[in-house]
Formats: sequence, C-alpha cells, structure tokens
Amino acid sequence: MKLQKRRSEKFACWAFLMPTLIFLAVTALFPLLYSVYLSFFRLKLNLPNQVPVFVGLDNYVRMFSDTMLHTSTLNTLTFAFISVALEVVLGLMVAMVICSDSMWSRVATSIFMIPMIMAPVAIGTLWRMMMDSSTGVLNYFLSFFGVEGVQWLADPTMAKVSVLLVNVWQLTPWVTVICAAGLKALPQDCIQAALVDGATPRQIFWKIVLPLIKPVLVIVVMMRFTDAFKVFDTVYTMTNGGPGTATEMLPNFIYKQGLKYYDAGYAAALAIVFVLVMAFITLFFLRLRKREEENVW
Amino acid sequence: MVKRRKTKDQASTDYVISNFAGPYVKWILLIFSLVGVIFPLYWLTLSAFKLDRDHRSYPPVFFPSEFTLDHFVDVFSKNQLLGNLINSATIAVVTTVITLLVGSMAAYAVQRGPLGRKTKNLFGLWFMVQKMYPAIATAIPVYLVMRSLHLIDTLLAMIIMNTSFNLPLVIWLMMGFFEQVPYELEESAMLDGSGFVHRFFHVILPITKPGLVASAILTFTATWNEFLFAVILSINKAKTLPVVIAGFITDRGLAWGPMAATSLVTLIPVVILTLIVQKDFVKGMAMGAVKG
Repeated sequence: MKLQKRRSEKFACWAFLMPTLIFLAVTALFPLLYSVYLSFFRLKLNLPNQVPVFVGLDNYVRMFSDTMLHTSTLNTLTFAFISVALEVVLGLMVAMVICSDSMWSRVATSIFMIPMIMAPVAIGTLWRMMMDSSTGVLNYFLSFFGVEGVQWLADPTMAKVSVLLVNVWQLTPWVTVICAAGLKALPQDCIQAALVDGATPRQIFWKIVLPLIKPVLVIVVMMRFTDAFKVFDTVYTMTNGGPGTATEMLPNFIYKQGLKYYDAGYAAALAIVFVLVMAFITLFFLRLRKREEENVW
Repeated sequence: MVKRRKTKDQASTDYVISNFAGPYVKWILLIFSLVGVIFPLYWLTLSAFKLDRDHRSYPPVFFPSEFTLDHFVDVFSKNQLLGNLINSATIAVVTTVITLLVGSMAAYAVQRGPLGRKTKNLFGLWFMVQKMYPAIATAIPVYLVMRSLHLIDTLLAMIIMNTSFNLPLVIWLMMGFFEQVPYELEESAMLDGSGFVHRFFHVILPITKPGLVASAILTFTATWNEFLFAVILSINKAKTLPVVIAGFITDRGLAWGPMAATSLVTLIPVVILTLIVQKDFVKGMAMGAVKG
C-alpha cells in the first residue's frame, strides 16, 4: 500500500516535469545542437534548396581574421562594463533616495517602473526622435548651454555615448527597484544602534548600509552584466550598428551575418562561441554568488 | 504602542539612508531622475497627439495649441494596427497561460517532488543556464526549422518560442515561492490522503498566488515587448506591435507621429497591468533577481 503510494507520487512528479523537459529539449536544446552542426557547414539561406557544404572548421578559423567581429566584441565589452557601472551606481543612489514607505516614494517607484516595462524598440525609436540633430529636443536643450548641433547618432563617438545613455535610461530603474527592495529588508537595529552612537548618515552609508546591501549588489551586477551582452532591440532601432561599425554589438552582428548576409554557417559558429563565452561568465558568476548567497536578506 | 514605535524607527532609518550624502544631493538626485524619466515619456505622449507641422518645427513645440487624433486614426486604418494588437495580445496571453501552468508544475516537481538531490541540482542548473543564454544563439536554427515546418509568419511559432524563453524564469521564480511554503502544510494534506496532483492544485497554488501574479506579469510584458524573434519569424500576418514600431524606421526617415502613437498603444496596456499588481510585481522581480 505504502509502496504503491510512493510509486504514484514519483510518477506524478515526473509527469509534472515532462512537459517542461520535452518543451525545452525541442525548442532550446535541439536548436543549439543544430547550431553546432550548422557551424561546420557553408549554407546560404537566400538560395532555395541549397545543400549544406561541409567546410570543417573554416567558420571558426574565419573568426580570427574577421576585423568586424573584433570591433563588435570590443564594443560589446566596453558597453557592458560602462553601462553596468553607471546603472549600478546611479540605481543604488536613487534607490536610497526613494527609500521610504511614504506615498510619494511609492508614486516615484511606479514612475521609475515605466522605462523598464516599455518595449525596448519603442525606447529606441523614441530616443532616436529626441536625438535628431536638427530638430531634436535634446539639441534644443543643449543650445541653452551654448552647445549646438550635436550629431547624436551620426558621429561615431557620440553614437556610442547615445546607445549607452539610452541603456542607462532603460535599465537604471530596474537596478533601483531591486535595490530598493533590498534596502527595505535591511536589519533596522544596526542602523539604529549606529545612530545612538552618533554616527553621521555618511558614515552609516559607508560602514553599514553598503556592506549589508553588498550581496544584492553583487547579484544585480551579475544579472545586468550578462544581460548587457544581449543588447539588441535598442541598438537595432537607434543605429543598427552604425555609423560604420561604431555601435556594432555581438547580437546585432550575429543577426546580420545570418539574416542579412544569409550566411547561416558562420552565424551558427558565432552563436556557439557566444554561448560558450556566456556560459563561462555565468558559471563564474554562479560560483561567486554561492559565496554571497547565504548573506542575502 | 509597540507598533507605533516600530514605525517611528522605520521612518528615521529611511531618513538616514535617503540622506546618505546630505539633503542637497538627495533632492538634486531625486528631481533629476524623475525629470529624466518623465520627460521622454511626456515627449512620446505629446508626439502622438501633435500636429504633423509641429513635429519638424524648431524650436520644438512643448505645449501645442492644437491636438489631433489623426495619428491614431492613421495607424488603425492605414496600417491595420488592430490586427497587430490582436496578434500581440493573443501571443502574450496564450504564452503566459501555458508558461505559468507548465512552469509552476515543473517548479513544484523539482522543489518538492520525490527526486534525488543530484537530479534536482541538475535540473536547477539547466534552468539557470537556460535563463542566461542569449536568444540570438538559437535564432538561425529556429528560423530554419520553422521554415521547413511552414510555421513562419504564424502565431503558433511565436507562442512556442516565447514560451521557451520564459519557462526557465518562471520555474526559478516559482521554485523560490514554493520553497517558502511550510512542509507541515503538505504533510498534513498528505495525511488526509491528498495526492501529488491534488496537493499542488488545492493546497500549494492557492497560497502562492503572489508568485503566480508576478510570474504572469513578467512573462506577459516580456512576450508583449519581444522583438528579435518577432522580427525573424513574422512577415506580415503574425506581426506584433514592436515589429510595427521598428517598421516606421525607413530610409526616408521616421514617421514620428504614427510611430509615437503606436508606441503609446504598446505601452499603455503593460503600464495599466503593472500598476494594478505593482506590489506583487516588485516582490516577484526582486525575488527572481536574488533567488534566480
């Protein structure tokens, strides 16, 4: 009787798992393996009924001499580091400022949530409109300070800055909301005790709040960093990698190889390398995080 | 009495935290960040209702004397936005329902099912890695497979892919919520003769409602806003709102009025949804970030 019951429990458990396992195997694992297979072939997507030609490691060897790839890798890395640094510092500061249970802070939180739930494509086009060099509203504001005709999206350096700026606008609120939740969960008594001892708010921030919130920050940095590598929608709508290759990032680059130049084999090889690198970063972060995990909240 | 003292402590602690660099920095930061967030949104709204001649004028028009609904009429009549809106809504709703059901079942099985420790860890790691990996990695093969199955430009293809993206996140989120359910509750249900399936639907799910709400809203917004696969897998019939927005970028420049109107149509449903369940949403997102 008992054995039978346990067996039925086990059966039900696997029955619960099965839909997910099958679904993920078919829609995520299989395409990944298919990518591995494709990466050894030359296949042009635009020619109908083309048979893939086996080329061995050619697609991988090609990466070493592809200067476009090197540029976009460098762009992506620079973008990831700077955007994450800006977003985390700014996000934490804003989170601390709105840290309270009052009405206005809840209203502020609601407002901050809008950029983060807005379609990134809409964000990209909206900023593209505001960054127009002749009639854009940003240049109008800058003209008060004597700065005229900034080429936001046409100048290579400014285009990089613009893409960063938009990413900061889009995702700082996310950092803020997570950090604000973390700040609310801080143990009150430490801060109260420090207050009784006559510590200033500044001392309390550096000596108490920052160390206590650190585990949350570490996780926020990890998530933002791995996400920064996947930036696509805003870049696609704002500059599509241009001018030249100034804002070319890896996802956009792979997309172009596959669906603009129809080079499926090379795109697949790129995707595989990209996934491997991301997996390494993720595993590295996971190990880091295990150490922090016990301290969270 | 005790309660009142606690709220007072809370207030003063908040005060200390928010004054970390003095009151001036606090107010400057607050005003700048609020203006920085609100102004672009104001500009978007304004552009959707502005007359065409005001769009290209310089200096820009901040408070137009005349408003128009032409852009909305335009996008709904000329561009058939209603069809795209229905596409987006169908894909998002169906994806959310499937993901929630399938994902929370898997989460429950991994979290509380009679599986070995090793199996549990393995599944946990798989879902974690799945959550991290870039969507572009599977774009080419998915395109090829969908093409050979004649699923390009269908809602089904989009629902399948979006479910695949969101499942890992929902599983992680729900695992966090199930973890907090006390074992005693399940044990007592088990003693009453309640089986695995019955326990899940009648004991566990009703008390993890906040988690379900958070997962639902996260899945819904992510699917509603999804662009990469939408642009790859749709040609005409299955176009979603983000694809339409991106479509306003042409070689002849942007059609600002219709673009802003479409963006607004895209934004408003998710804003309303999020505001309704803001508390659960924030909680779920924070948990998803920290636990996931």
